[in-house]
Amino acid sequence: MNEDSGAGPQPGGWRLLPVRGPQDVVGGLVLMAVAAFAFWASRDLAGMRGFSFGPGTAPRLFAGLLLLLGAAIMVGGFLRHGDPLQRYGMRGPFFVTVALVLFAVAIRPLGLVLTGILTFLVAAMGSPETRWGEAIVVGVLLTLGCALLFPYVLGLPFQMLPQVLQ
Amino acid sequence: MTDLFANLALGFHTVFQFVPWTPAFPGGVTIPIPANILLCLVGALVGTLVGVLPGIGTIATVAMLLPITFGLPPVGALIMLAGIYYGAQYGGSTTSILVNIPGEATSVVTTLDGFQMAKQGRAGPALAIAAIGSFAAGCIATVLIALLGAPLTRFALAFGAAEYFSLMVLGLVFAVVLAKGSVLKAIAVIVLGLLLSMVGSDLETGVSRMAFDVPELADGIGFPVVAMGVFGFAEIIRNLDHGAGADRSLVQARITGLMPTRADLVASTPAILRGTLIGSILGILPGGGAVIASFAAYTFEKRIARDPSRFGRGAIEGVAAPESANNAAAQTSFIPLLTLGIPPNAVMALMVGAMTIHGIIPGPQVMQKQPELVWGMIASMWVGNLMLLVINLPLVGIWVRLLRVPYRLMFPSIVIFCAIGIYSINNAAMDVVLAGAFGLVGYWLVKHDFEPAPLLLGMVLGPPMEENLRRAMLISRGNAAVFVTRPLSATLLAAAALLLLLAVLPALRKKRDEVFVESEA
Repeated sequence: MNEDSGAGPQPGGWRLLPVRGPQDVVGGLVLMAVAAFAFWASRDLAGMRGFSFGPGTAPRLFAGLLLLLGAAIMVGGFLRHGDPLQRYGMRGPFFVTVALVLFAVAIRPLGLVLTGILTFLVAAMGSPETRWGEAIVVGVLLTLGCALLFPYVLGLPFQMLPQVLQ
Repeated sequence: MTDLFANLALGFHTVFQFVPWTPAFPGGVTIPIPANILLCLVGALVGTLVGVLPGIGTIATVAMLLPITFGLPPVGALIMLAGIYYGAQYGGSTTSILVNIPGEATSVVTTLDGFQMAKQGRAGPALAIAAIGSFAAGCIATVLIALLGAPLTRFALAFGAAEYFSLMVLGLVFAVVLAKGSVLKAIAVIVLGLLLSMVGSDLETGVSRMAFDVPELADGIGFPVVAMGVFGFAEIIRNLDHGAGADRSLVQARITGLMPTRADLVASTPAILRGTLIGSILGILPGGGAVIASFAAYTFEKRIARDPSRFGRGAIEGVAAPESANNAAAQTSFIPLLTLGIPPNAVMALMVGAMTIHGIIPGPQVMQKQPELVWGMIASMWVGNLMLLVINLPLVGIWVRLLRVPYRLMFPSIVIFCAIGIYSINNAAMDVVLAGAFGLVGYWLVKHDFEPAPLLLGMVLGPPMEENLRRAMLISRGNAAVFVTRPLSATLLAAAALLLLLAVLPALRKKRDEVFVESEA
């Protein structure tokens, strides 16, 4: 491979490990970390007994494979030019996650109707373009729709109203 | 041949069956209704409705709607899911043509000529040809499934544990090779899926594995949880990055005249047939190449056209061929699922998830023990395609209006709908949080250029792969050579190795990328 091509080592100082594809280097590293975690998590599972698999054999087998693949991807990031790291959005992931956690916490004590509207509004905060008037109207209508669809049409049991009211 | 007709007859009998039904409200009188055909209709309509919504692909649609089928009897649930699947695909091509946003990867090439046609005021004929092509492809593919189903099942029944393991390896390799993007990364994602499927109790000893005494993990990570996280929530988060009001250049011109002219039909008939052929072949492969089928069909049409420069400027063949190809491939990809029990793509993996929830283990035994399930589903595909053709064209106006729903209202709706859906499966609040976590995982994967679809394949194939690997090793008394000494297993593994080798060879890599190059145009 031609060392002088494009954005190789900076002219100022020769770096020991020229990162050419940061996306792949980080991606491979994280996969290796996941594999290492799986090794750790399956450490107390029995392995091979004679020629029969134990419960820990397959997880360790796949974790080992993932470790190798992660390493290969990482090495590829050092050898080949690749994409730079992409920017992560903060607002969207944050509010969607908060909305889901809120749903999980509230669904039992508050029931479907209140939880649904609350979750909708919190999730809506994930976008700067949300207009509150229409969001509240759609949130209420949608929750009522779900409150009819899931328990009555699909026959899945749901608690509708807050526990204190019942 | 008589077998074929008997089987299809059983299928149509199942689809058109009347069952007594009592409405859930008080005072309801029990009446006979054609339940399965109604479910097929509802599935196709709901699938189209959700598939048309911008930013929701086919996999996300099927994953989102999975919970609403859980309360149904198995046959009805699968018929409805199949309906949702091709409805969503049809919805995806509608958005490709009308707003230049492909609903999913299989209709990416449709945007090239479909959107141009729409701009020239010919959205009607483009949509009609897409529907007609899909229907024609569906008819041919249904017959193909019926023809190949029985012999393949007999073939699969001769398989031992070693052969099954090797077949699954081959299937996964196909899935990697036929997909877009880096082969190495796709394999890594599959292995990650396999590893995730190990969480929960061990199938043989019942020992809890990597569950950390979390009760919700004791039975393993739920498949719908991962599917909705990685495809539902991750897609939302990713779309929010681009700003909720993505620039959607909706065709403002009124759609006048749905019907294609005689010249359109003459031009597109051979294209439909060629597309169907390419799609059927690529769909049967264990990799289930609906995506590559549409690209390949488009490239092929362009290459054999007398005037290739018309393509990209509203050539009707450029809509007809890929749309027939992706529908044919989508249908024939049921073949490996129904006969061998191996899901060739992520949507089929979702089907396996649905079957498992109904207590059905997909594989050759299903075809023997529950023929009405398999043949009913096959017959329902034909009926569903016919219904899509009849209902959807008049409904185009509604779909266009749906496309105007702003994303700022749609994404919180999807969040709440998915949350309720996940919660309803097990009444477990923890599942909702887990799905949220998988949403972040999916977001991370996409940001690092990992294709998330193979994750589902790995998750579904993990348990049977482990089971067959263990059984094969036990039978051979720990001799791993069993996989290469048994001729059938050795052939399958050799094919997998060869395929993998071809995929990483520079010359063939280039060819593979060439097929996908249209998407960057």
